[in-house]
Amino acid sequence: MSTISPSSWLYGSIQLRRNRGLGGLYLVVAAFLILYAVLFPGILSIGGFSKFTQNWFPLALVTMAQALLMLNGGITLAIGPLVSLGAVIAATTMEGALGVSGGILAVAAAGLAIGAITGAIVTHLRLPAIIVTLAGSFIISGVALILLPRPGGAIPDWLSTVLAGHTPVAFLLLVLILALWKAFLATPLGLGIYAAGDNSVGAFRSGVPVERVKVAAFALSGLLAALTGLFVAAQTGSGDPVIGTPFTLNSIAAAVLGGVGFLGGKGTMRGAICGSLLLSVMINVMFFLGFPPVAQYVAQGLIIVGAVAVPEFLTQWRARR
Amino acid sequence: MKHLENSISATLRRRLLAGAAAAAALLAFSAGTASAAASCIKGDRKAPYTIGWANIYSVPTWMKQTEGTIKAEVDELNKAGLVKDLMITDAQGNAQTQIQHIQSMIDANVDAIVVIAGSSTALDRVISDACDKGIAVVNFDSLVDTDKVTAKINTDSNEWGATAAKWMVSQLGGKGKIIIMNGPAGISVSDDRRKGAQPVLDANPGLKVITETNTEYNVAPAQEAMTSLLFANPDIDGVLSLGGALSAGSVMAFERQGREQVPTTGENARQFLELWKEKGLKGWATMQPNWLGALSVYTAVQALQGKDIPAFVKVPLPVIDDSTIGSYLARADKFPADGYIYSDYDKALFDKLLAK
Repeated sequence: MSTISPSSWLYGSIQLRRNRGLGGLYLVVAAFLILYAVLFPGILSIGGFSKFTQNWFPLALVTMAQALLMLNGGITLAIGPLVSLGAVIAATTMEGALGVSGGILAVAAAGLAIGAITGAIVTHLRLPAIIVTLAGSFIISGVALILLPRPGGAIPDWLSTVLAGHTPVAFLLLVLILALWKAFLATPLGLGIYAAGDNSVGAFRSGVPVERVKVAAFALSGLLAALTGLFVAAQTGSGDPVIGTPFTLNSIAAAVLGGVGFLGGKGTMRGAICGSLLLSVMINVMFFLGFPPVAQYVAQGLIIVGAVAVPEFLTQWRARR
Repeated sequence: MKHLENSISATLRRRLLAGAAAAAALLAFSAGTASAAASCIKGDRKAPYTIGWANIYSVPTWMKQTEGTIKAEVDELNKAGLVKDLMITDAQGNAQTQIQHIQSMIDANVDAIVVIAGSSTALDRVISDACDKGIAVVNFDSLVDTDKVTAKINTDSNEWGATAAKWMVSQLGGKGKIIIMNGPAGISVSDDRRKGAQPVLDANPGLKVITETNTEYNVAPAQEAMTSLLFANPDIDGVLSLGGALSAGSVMAFERQGREQVPTTGENARQFLELWKEKGLKGWATMQPNWLGALSVYTAVQALQGKDIPAFVKVPLPVIDDSTIGSYLARADKFPADGYIYSDYDKALFDKLLAK
């Protein structure tokens, strides 16, 4: 009974086509990982692997949060502030009456609610996501600064040790989240994310609840961003009201690097994750190669442009032949 | 991103340190001649040392000047056979990246890490990891909350704010309307300087704070902010600016609108000092000396060699006023046009500061 049904054949060919543009990225990432392991063999130990994946984990999560929106044609400029807010809520609640579970719930609820509200404004008022989330980013930053005007607060030590100690818990969480994403994609709502991003009118006519899909995407993205804040707070042991700011641009860079298009429907989550891995491993490799800071700025730019441009050139070259 | 500071109030910290110092002195006394090594140091690291300089952001001129003093110090220590290598990282303003850099320094097993923190709390865990591995960690300028470091080196931001406010009170005879210019919100150094000024303002109710503003430590945004404040406020008797570029921006805004200059506080930014002289301003300035970087490297090497180091090195705030500004401006051409003219430093000064 090993006959391949037409639908799985179709699935396979689509996946193959999706991966084709990413071949270059996978190669570059693999090369960097190998180079890193050569420069620092300690990465192959549990402790080294754990520390490396912990430093990558927050960027991987915000990249997922960003890619989720970009896949259905949206974008968010509020990711960084939302990470800060998640960290601030975690650091101000967990040592108080709410406790750790209450704190986690509060962070998750805040992320979901803010995401859903943003999504509702974008879809129902038909406003551009980039403007709504830009405004949202100011409001969220302000709230984070009101809750915690300067770095402080605390996360219970045991939680920091569980999430960011010398064990690969962060990596396992990432695998778990990716598995959940895979499962989510199999649901009608998940399928709708691609459909609504690729061709929203077509999706609507085929019965996809396009508006509900978009609100759900924003809510999930908000949840992921706020949880990233929770992890950052655990990793650092405390809250900082402005720590998330650089994540906004980095999440977009990682997603684009991973082949996720701005116009929706194009790209894969594995590509985006790979993009974030490249951005992260690059920092370590350049450190071990002893690049001076100025060269790091240049090298970083060149690698990013190269990883995006080379596959594009290859496609054009192939098409011309 | 210039200097951030610790959240523990300076007075509390001093009191704690006094206690700790007393305890340490007692211990050293009872242990007789046993050498009292500094915190984090395990004594198994031999010269020449590798030093990591984990910067949060290398682009501002202040940072470039600081890096200059660090490199100069490393060159000297290199000639003395004490340091073999300096690794420099720039986290591009991202505290998460800085964590990654410090982790890499631990992985590379450097002997000492000199760090300006991008967040007073975010680096706590990775820095205490470094300390556990016997790496000397010297933290200056913007400080971390954790005490698991070899030494923290800084001026006192509270005192900065208080002294500036006191000068303003004496200039205006305790009566007048002032504007306060702060650095960015959410950054502890800005917060600390502002807090230091408050008790002085409370004690002198004749001094009215009309309004205050937060901008980046940069001339252009400060000038912009002051320009709009000038439109809104016809009477201003003084500008209590808590950062050098802020003061330069403020003076330029007054100039542009043809308003008469008012007493202005500030920092050793060359631009501000030159405007001060040029406009015949009533001015006052202090500084976060760039040589804190050189002092930090020196301190790390001293600690690695087994010398006892105070856990907190409080560097007195050098003051520039009408009597001393000439000596600073005389050296101005040795510093970048948008840079900071810092006070002179040498080994003797370092030894004196570390002996406290």
